[in-house]
Amino acid sequence: MTVPSPEPGPVRRTAVLTGASRGLGRVVAGLLAGEGYDLIVVAREPAPLAELAQHARRFGGEVVEVVGDVSDRRTRNEVRARTGRWGGLDLLVNNASELGPSPLPPLLQLSMDSLDRVFRVNVAAPLALVQELAPALARRRGLVVNVSSDAARGGYPGWGAYGASKAALDLVSLTLAHELEAAGIAVVAVDPGDMRTAMHQAAYPGQDISDRPLPDVTLPFWAWLLGRPHAEVTGQRYLAQSDHWGAGR
Amino acid sequence: MSARSYEFDRPRGLEARAPPESRGLARDEVRFLVTDDGGSTHHRFRELPDLLAPGDLLVVNASATLPASLPVRGDAGEFLLNVSTQYGDAVWLAEPRFGVGSPGPVPLDPAAPLSSGAVQFHPIGPFPGIERLWFFRADGSVPAAMTERGRPIRYGYVDEAYPLAAYQTVFSRVPGSAEMPSAGRPFSARVLDALRDRGVGVAEVLLHTGVSSLESEAGGAELPPVYPEPFDVPRETAERIRATREARHRVIAVGTTVLRALETAWDGCRVAPRSGFTRLVLGPGRPVRSVDGLVTGFHDPRTSHLALLFGLAGEERVRTAYSEAVERRYLWHEFGDSHLLWRPGAG
Repeated sequence: MTVPSPEPGPVRRTAVLTGASRGLGRVVAGLLAGEGYDLIVVAREPAPLAELAQHARRFGGEVVEVVGDVSDRRTRNEVRARTGRWGGLDLLVNNASELGPSPLPPLLQLSMDSLDRVFRVNVAAPLALVQELAPALARRRGLVVNVSSDAARGGYPGWGAYGASKAALDLVSLTLAHELEAAGIAVVAVDPGDMRTAMHQAAYPGQDISDRPLPDVTLPFWAWLLGRPHAEVTGQRYLAQSDHWGAGR
Repeated sequence: MSARSYEFDRPRGLEARAPPESRGLARDEVRFLVTDDGGSTHHRFRELPDLLAPGDLLVVNASATLPASLPVRGDAGEFLLNVSTQYGDAVWLAEPRFGVGSPGPVPLDPAAPLSSGAVQFHPIGPFPGIERLWFFRADGSVPAAMTERGRPIRYGYVDEAYPLAAYQTVFSRVPGSAEMPSAGRPFSARVLDALRDRGVGVAEVLLHTGVSSLESEAGGAELPPVYPEPFDVPRETAERIRATREARHRVIAVGTTVLRALETAWDGCRVAPRSGFTRLVLGPGRPVRSVDGLVTGFHDPRTSHLALLFGLAGEERVRTAYSEAVERRYLWHEFGDSHLLWRPGAG
């Protein structure tokens, strides 16, 4: 008697998303789940992360919660360990970001501890995740998305630490795009534009920010980006709310 | 600008309910309103070549219409899924409707896919700000489902189902539009011959149109958001536009789709080769720079298309022309009459 070997199912796409529980991360998580990705979602607060995960599971895929701070090595180790069960990683979205003190202080009053924290979360942690997940990303010729900000180019008073960290992240993204090309890993930076999020509110405590669009305004951009051939987008910096998305030929 | 800024009075009954062929007219025999610095004059479309000058360049949309309206079955019963725009391999934007004349919203649940033959559409979520449009993940070949089961998208004002051929133009070459880029519809072989004899050029761009869901557009206090559509302005076309303008001849967009593509490709001083997805909104706040005139149909009140006309020719010129069109009972929509609108100083 021959035992039929189990039919391998179709290979499911896989993604790691940080800062998943609120704002922009929540929008991206919902889209990825809807598009049929298996997900590892990372955030510091367990309750909103569990709620997000429950929502994402309605689409039928696997959703793994990792509670922790991305600047903490233990969090990243857990993420890497969890991806080990997958054959590889298709997508890493570095979305978790640290704004700095609220209200935003001018640079002359910024503490070095705050600056250090902003850079550890916004520059070092995304890079460390790429380093740790590069083998898994290479197996799927995956895509890394680093979430940037218009503050990276703005010079807006009060946004110095955050803006400088995102400018650094932009250069990390561009450099990685070149360095990882041979490994088949694509890297893009995305400026989602002004949005009505908890982070944006923290930047303007007590002010009315209701004129800003909700983060789901960027949903069509993510749907577009995820549908592009990686070779076409790597090295680009996109504005999710701009009039035109393209390869910029 | 609020939607009220784009209000005008269009009596009922001016929708073209059928193609001109079924009204006993050739495609190029529809009526043709021409609006320039001197006001509006009344013509038939086939006179177009005589109304242009040697050296002028028409830019047309080479996108062909898909049979994009699929019958589907879901928890809400049997209804239609009008497939609008492909975002990636399996992700599509689409509008579920109860029927040709009955828009949604049809209630959807991520856990309950819609099926059309062998294809399953898994609802992902609504398009931000446009509740009637949803993103879907498709299991199976959507183009194959369209070929087997699709019909051209149709709305309630069109009297009956017409074959896909009625929704193609002489320029239709690359399938991809959910709805016909209808400004090109009155063009015929004999008009193209006459244009060539006259020394008028024709160049192509691509913009694959999504669904318009006409009856849902006019409603809210704000103009509805636009959703991104794929486009391509090839190098050769950008080059011909540059040469035409340098020789002080005129560039005429055939359709608002072409105009959107060209304006998206505008780099600040000229039309550059460019492709991707555009979500550009044109209007008085973002005037038109890339063309001198526009051949188009007649557009409904409170729509982004009307805002675009204001951005091309100014509100007063458009309102005066539209009053005349209403008075003379020109026909609206995809099977209707045609309009050549010059921007001030161009025609």
